[in-house]
Amino acid sequence: MINTMYQLDTLDSAQAFIASLLIGAAFGFFLERAGFGSSRKLSGVFYFKDMTVIKVMFTAVITAALGLILCIVLGIVSIDGIYLMPTVYGAYIVGGLIFGVGFVMGGWCPGTAAAGMASGKIDAIIFLVGAILGSAVFNEMFGLVKPLYESGQSGVVFIYDTLGMSRETFSVLLCIAAIVMFWGCEWIEKRKTAQPILQNSTILKTLSIAVLAMAFMLVAVKPGLSLNQLPGTMTGTTLTESQLLEAVEMAQDHIEPEELADRMLRQEPGLIVVDIRPVVEYMDYHLPNALNIQMKDLHQALVQYKNAGTIVLYSNGMTHPVQARDSLYRNGYNNAFILTDGINGFIEKCLTPVSLRDEILPKETTDKIRAWRAFFLGSTNVQSESYTPQEMLSDSMLIDAESLEKQLERADTKILDLRSQTEYNTSHIKNSFSLNIENLRTNLNGVGSMLQPRDMLTRHFSSMGIQPDDNVVIVYGNKTQDATLVGIALERIGHKSYKILNGGFAAWKSVNKPVVSELPETVISSYPNNGTDNFSVDYKTVLQYVKSKKAIIIDVRPSDYFSGSKSDEARAGHIPGAVNRPYTEDIIIVNETAQFKPIEELAKAYEQIIPSKDSTVIVHCRTGHQASQTFFVLKRLLGYRNVLWYDAGWSQWAAIKDLPIE
Amino acid sequence: MEKHDLLKKKYMNPYLAGIGLGLTLLVSFLVLGAGLGASSGLARIAACIGLCVAKTHTLSSEYFGKWGQHPMQYYLVFMLVGTFIGGLCSALLANRTKLQIERGKQSSVGLRIVFAFIGGILVGFASRLAQGCTSGQALSGTALLLTGSFVFLICIFVGGYATAKLFRRQWND
Repeated sequence: MINTMYQLDTLDSAQAFIASLLIGAAFGFFLERAGFGSSRKLSGVFYFKDMTVIKVMFTAVITAALGLILCIVLGIVSIDGIYLMPTVYGAYIVGGLIFGVGFVMGGWCPGTAAAGMASGKIDAIIFLVGAILGSAVFNEMFGLVKPLYESGQSGVVFIYDTLGMSRETFSVLLCIAAIVMFWGCEWIEKRKTAQPILQNSTILKTLSIAVLAMAFMLVAVKPGLSLNQLPGTMTGTTLTESQLLEAVEMAQDHIEPEELADRMLRQEPGLIVVDIRPVVEYMDYHLPNALNIQMKDLHQALVQYKNAGTIVLYSNGMTHPVQARDSLYRNGYNNAFILTDGINGFIEKCLTPVSLRDEILPKETTDKIRAWRAFFLGSTNVQSESYTPQEMLSDSMLIDAESLEKQLERADTKILDLRSQTEYNTSHIKNSFSLNIENLRTNLNGVGSMLQPRDMLTRHFSSMGIQPDDNVVIVYGNKTQDATLVGIALERIGHKSYKILNGGFAAWKSVNKPVVSELPETVISSYPNNGTDNFSVDYKTVLQYVKSKKAIIIDVRPSDYFSGSKSDEARAGHIPGAVNRPYTEDIIIVNETAQFKPIEELAKAYEQIIPSKDSTVIVHCRTGHQASQTFFVLKRLLGYRNVLWYDAGWSQWAAIKDLPIE
Repeated sequence: MEKHDLLKKKYMNPYLAGIGLGLTLLVSFLVLGAGLGASSGLARIAACIGLCVAKTHTLSSEYFGKWGQHPMQYYLVFMLVGTFIGGLCSALLANRTKLQIERGKQSSVGLRIVFAFIGGILVGFASRLAQGCTSGQALSGTALLLTGSFVFLICIFVGGYATAKLFRRQWND
């Protein structure tokens, strides 16, 4: 199997540039050979004078298309290794029409003009200058044409799926159409001009026969890539009901958990594991590298894996995957399977520790279970949700000065002081580290003030010597949301053992606890960096929830920003359906210092907004800072289980003009 | 007859040239993992000129801006240079390098230049809108059997044939 440069992400390397230069040279060579260094010859096609364009172009298309299908069937390359342009209907239709006018008017297209320039055509140079200018015009007008540029976005769509036929059937039809066109072109040229006639040429005859033979051959040897090939799927057409029932009867549509575990463990190429559960459940736990695709999106999302590799669908149980698989099967997929007993069965069969099993197992099996557990639990976030009940629900996430003083001398206590550098330098709690919260945020994908990715955060916390078993205590200056932002950063790296000194440094000072000015000593640690967090969501997920109305969206900004009467962003207002609960409602200010309200009071307030502890809740503000506080209150103080954090918040939502607002 | 005998010698059989192009495209798929392209290279040149003329404006523009400070460090720029080199080799070998403005005998140089220039602007604009030109979409995309590329290809011919008559003058002999 070839790994393409696109696959290896090395298209920006020197090797790729050299390869592109050489491929370009071959491209230019054949263009010029074909006569495309002449605008007159190119335009001839539009006046039925010279049909070379059609002949060359379609010969090239069928050569490359059949060649590529052959390479895929033979396992030389995977379709995943090739960049597939998404279809954007509106943009392509309008773009095609304008291009056609420009082509016939200018007599060139970009590639042929380069070849034309090489053969001394001044009009080609002028055309190229025009095209460069046209690109610049597009850039200047981008704001204006953007709606068109994005209209009809449909993702990667194959023509044979659009037409509802198999790839092989379409290939044969394309070849037949091309050959009919070639003979038609010869006939047109014969009638219209006194050009030489290729109608009797051996090359055309040989080509016609060879192309058809090859196309039919591809149909005959339709790919049999899956080891668990279903019976009766060699026909290349959509599979029949009786074949489906036959496969179901023989239980060939299932894959056992143990088999899947083994195949995932050895990282079998071409194995696509699809989790069809709701996003929240997926984020709580999923099999490593599983794709999360909702039922309605399956056809579109899986089309690139159709009959290439093995698709395994799972949910909690069996009902939905069975329906999904049958639907795929009816659409010609012979490589979709369901995981027997779903994710629950998988956990029970493969991930239950040996010590908890009733039966006595041979050593071979116990070794396997250990390997599975190490693979499936070691590198994912399943263990991160295993809080003790006391950790989950409590004010034990808040600490007072007395309790902090008691654990001050313990080696596993790490104190983070969030006040300004000068305040810290003057006096601080012994062994505390100064931390500026802005050092935990950065610009990600063009959005400012985003919490840094996990790897950056682990390095940051490692530089303060923090280790997974440490008890981190956060001491803030006067803003509770500073402390919760550090808290959510710790949550992102998987560190659940942290507490916030309620009332901040002022609370420590007010009871006259000792302070020092010496800096702490530390040994840099190496905090493990694996997986991603399971609570951060992007605007796409939020949009899904806006549409499905299956989540409570809490906008924690001040009410005048929520209503839109004040705005510092691209647009004013709020996400449709969001409720406003300003973060300031959860705190009280004592001596200019914020502290959390009593838990009972908070619990009562949120009971009015959120129906149950299992409801999905999305919190957001403008940049994620204030919302981190509501996240902490809901998840860590009140024990809501499905709280999601939309970090990019209103600053991003307002800036993406296509997103709905109220 | 003498003239077209000459032509016959000059250009390669279109089907053989097509196979050559198709194989080039296949190699591109297998090595680069992407098809051929030409208009992207031109757009990168436009961005590069933009950077020279108005740096902050170009960097802050939404479309060119995302290519950063070095838009020319892109594989399709090299492919475009290669296309020129390959074309030059073939033209030199066939003795087809003659400085000229190609047009019909009755047509004026001015008309041909204006058409070539405006045609170029339209093509440059349309290629950005459709994320590719005859190379990237119509040739490479259709070989990948992508719906959008077929739509684009059909629309090129619709647009071309619908307006061909308007631009015929430049080829009148």
